[in-house]
Amino acid sequence: MRERSALSPPPLGESPGSRLPRWIPDAPGEEAALLSALGIASIDELFADVPKKARIGKMGVGPSHEEPEVVREVDRLLDRNKPLSKFANFVGGRIAPRYSPAAVDAIVSRSEFYTAYTPYQPEASQGMLRALFEFQSLWVELTGLDVANASLYDGATAAGEALLFCHRVRDGGRRFLVPASLPWEEKSVLRNYASGPGLALDEIPYHEGTGRLDLDWVRAAVATGDVFGVLADVPNGFGHVDEGVADLKEILGAIPLVVAADPLALSVLEPPGNYGADVVVGEGQGFGIPPSYGGPLLGLFACRSEHVRLAPGRIVGATRDADGRPAYTLTLQTREQHIRRSRATSNICTNQSLMALAFTVYASVVGPRGLATLQTSLAEKARTLASGLGGIEGIRAPRFDAPYLGDFTIELARGTPREFLDRLRRRKVLGGHPLADPRPGAEPAPARVLVSATEGIGDKEIQKYIRSARAAMEVA
Amino acid sequence: MSFRQARWDEPAIWDLAPPNSTDPPPVIPGIPERMRRKTAVRWPELSELEVVRHFTRLSQMNFGIDTSPYPLGSCTMKYNPKVSELLARRPGAADLHPEQPEETAQGALEILWRLERLLGRVTGLPEVSLQAAAGAHGEWAALLMVRAYFRDRGELDRRTEVLLPDTAHGTNPASAMMAGFTTRELPSKEGCVDLTALRAAVGDRTACFMLTNPNTAGLFESDILEIAETVHGVGGTLYYDGANLNAILGVTHPGRMGFDVAHLNLHKTFATPHGGGGPGAGVLAAGEKLGPYLPVPRVVKQGRKFRLDYDRPKSIGKIKTAYGNFGLDLRAYAFALTHGEEGLRHVARRAVLNSNYLGLRMGRSLPRPFRTLVKHEFLLSGAPLKARGVRTLDLAKRLLDEGVHAPTVYFPSLVEEALMVELPETESKRVLDEYVAAFERSLADSPENLRAAPRSLAVGRIDEVRAAREPLLSWKDLRAAAGKAETPGAVAPG
Repeated sequence: MRERSALSPPPLGESPGSRLPRWIPDAPGEEAALLSALGIASIDELFADVPKKARIGKMGVGPSHEEPEVVREVDRLLDRNKPLSKFANFVGGRIAPRYSPAAVDAIVSRSEFYTAYTPYQPEASQGMLRALFEFQSLWVELTGLDVANASLYDGATAAGEALLFCHRVRDGGRRFLVPASLPWEEKSVLRNYASGPGLALDEIPYHEGTGRLDLDWVRAAVATGDVFGVLADVPNGFGHVDEGVADLKEILGAIPLVVAADPLALSVLEPPGNYGADVVVGEGQGFGIPPSYGGPLLGLFACRSEHVRLAPGRIVGATRDADGRPAYTLTLQTREQHIRRSRATSNICTNQSLMALAFTVYASVVGPRGLATLQTSLAEKARTLASGLGGIEGIRAPRFDAPYLGDFTIELARGTPREFLDRLRRRKVLGGHPLADPRPGAEPAPARVLVSATEGIGDKEIQKYIRSARAAMEVA
Repeated sequence: MSFRQARWDEPAIWDLAPPNSTDPPPVIPGIPERMRRKTAVRWPELSELEVVRHFTRLSQMNFGIDTSPYPLGSCTMKYNPKVSELLARRPGAADLHPEQPEETAQGALEILWRLERLLGRVTGLPEVSLQAAAGAHGEWAALLMVRAYFRDRGELDRRTEVLLPDTAHGTNPASAMMAGFTTRELPSKEGCVDLTALRAAVGDRTACFMLTNPNTAGLFESDILEIAETVHGVGGTLYYDGANLNAILGVTHPGRMGFDVAHLNLHKTFATPHGGGGPGAGVLAAGEKLGPYLPVPRVVKQGRKFRLDYDRPKSIGKIKTAYGNFGLDLRAYAFALTHGEEGLRHVARRAVLNSNYLGLRMGRSLPRPFRTLVKHEFLLSGAPLKARGVRTLDLAKRLLDEGVHAPTVYFPSLVEEALMVELPETESKRVLDEYVAAFERSLADSPENLRAAPRSLAVGRIDEVRAAREPLLSWKDLRAAAGKAETPGAVAPG
């Protein structure tokens, strides 16, 4: 049957396709000894409590395979991918393809770390707890806030948790405001987080020329008394740094402000805590975590001390052991689902601890000066590229008159982003990604592309992009 | 007792170097003055070797499956195959951006598509999405799908209640709350759903009944078909928490048992590493009724091409930035491909055999609260220890001194002083026997020694009350505390 072979390849080589994986112990007599201890003749007897009518026949998932066959088959599939390194790559945004020093993966590959579970027995898990404590401390230093949790799933879900957090902090109001320029998938995730408690997500319009938030609109919205929180991102969905974000807290007063910030940008930008952010969330993937087609990622979350008991997620605290020596443990757990159940601050259980470790090792290997230097170099590349693209007829680059770091938005006068990007790809250039909701029925969007100066590109790739873009627009 | 964990006197990373310069970072042209960082990020400037040595030392103060049997009940701590680690690091897997064109990621899409088809067959729920980052994330998304379904039927106003047994994982009620439902926990009977109580509880307010089968007591809910009939009879939906799927692979599946939607944890049944707390990988599997509500995009095959399909008008939308935890999905696919039909079936059989054997052996020392035919895990009650002035917690800490991890403790709450034990199919009889011996030695130790445990680890018994009462949650807190104590330079917490 075709379907079966589509799920898993036919047996390769000489495999009989029936041997059990060696990961399940099968020493001679082992199973018999276990059965005999239990006084039963067959394992089937252990399933006597599964009613006949509930049983299934074959699942239809194909034969087993030996390890070399699995490697060959998975490699065959992976060979059908074209990794970013095959291109001059300008695709980035919240998920940043960035070089990670080999030391990061060497540490993350220590199986004492990666094969551990959540540190429920802290005495046996000091290594991970201490690494997470250092991670929390690092996010606190980057954001200027007081407390960070031990990670959430990704940047978008961290923003979603921040929305619910604001609703707990500000008991009243039904509207949460986000920039209209926020990437569509983040808005979609946020709408889902808002939908449970019946909250509304409203979009703050931006100025057409600069992409900056319309602060008058925010003022008017706040005056309705129905706003319980506001999120703004730095850089924003267009890649720009909007200094209006620093004016938001004055408008909001007691209403909590969430800033979604890029960690690398925070190596050169004012910590949002210094301009009134009550929560700072972010996507941490760019620090030592490969993009891996979108996951695993790393959700970052920090807040102020006075709100820590309303915060989502696991938190590691410092304490002492029975002999008075420094020790670390998961703490403030009465916020969490395994204790508080339906009254927990969040349902999160599994988080992204190993990614938090990678983040910390990356930042420590690169160091604060290295991070700022990297961000400065990306910004320089972006400026060179934007000025080159801006000289091409039919491309507005950058689309918005506003400062930027490594990412910026271009707008095409004709043709669709997809056509433009396809033409670039034929010349081995990945030119960025379209900023539009791909769902049928979504509002028609301007022909905009988010372009990222990634770490792997140099002047040669930048010039190649500019040449390819010119050629693409000539035929558009 | 001959075990000793490494006990490095390793300072915190910020104490490895003098404070770094506070000079501001370089100025990036165009960035307004007020948005510029005025002082460098406060973090040490270290050599790469110092960083590597620091984290290597930390790693040596951590238990993992690779160092110790790790019998956490409901966590299914099986061997994480090394070949999966190798494959996930290939450039064709790691160096892919979710926004790169589908034409350049055909292999990744095919892996996702194959894994989804495979999981559709394993669960009997053919519509599958891998977007969820973890189990609880999947639970929440599934309940949003239930909401959307009842909204379409015009029943959302009255279908506001989610029912669950008192043995449910804490994530179940928490997810239900986040999805906007109220929850009601039903007392179980001898560790299983009390069908009479369920029949009395369901009604036209019931949106969903959430169930783990086998449940957290390790028992198979043999009334499952009647349970499904009861819930469906009042128009409700039935949710399968797949945390314990490992025990029933190839024997039964959520589809056959009558569930409408399920989440699975690939980091349990499909052996992807749990990373000291995460990442996980969640799976959403649904039947006809709820399938149309799954998050977008869906991975589809058209001719010989794979693509992401956004044209799902009933979909709840996105639940995560990108599609899912691809790096974990790939590992799970390699696991499934290795096992195949027979291998997966054998996983469940051996896991259940191990569990029953271990239950028999450990049950000679402590009482087992419910029937003894169990699936992947079993419960013990540490209540009798109290007569000796000892608690389950002391026993758990004493086990650590044997170089083995402790079982899950104090869950589920319906059993006094509970221990929940699961050593899955990758553990040999020798390891099981050694675990039993360590358990018996621990029990036989003096109450004083039990209360003083652990003594062989990097630290002794940790004061958790102090951690919660005087929270010190970052370096910043430690600096403030040190300042308050007027001991400049002091770095030790407290």
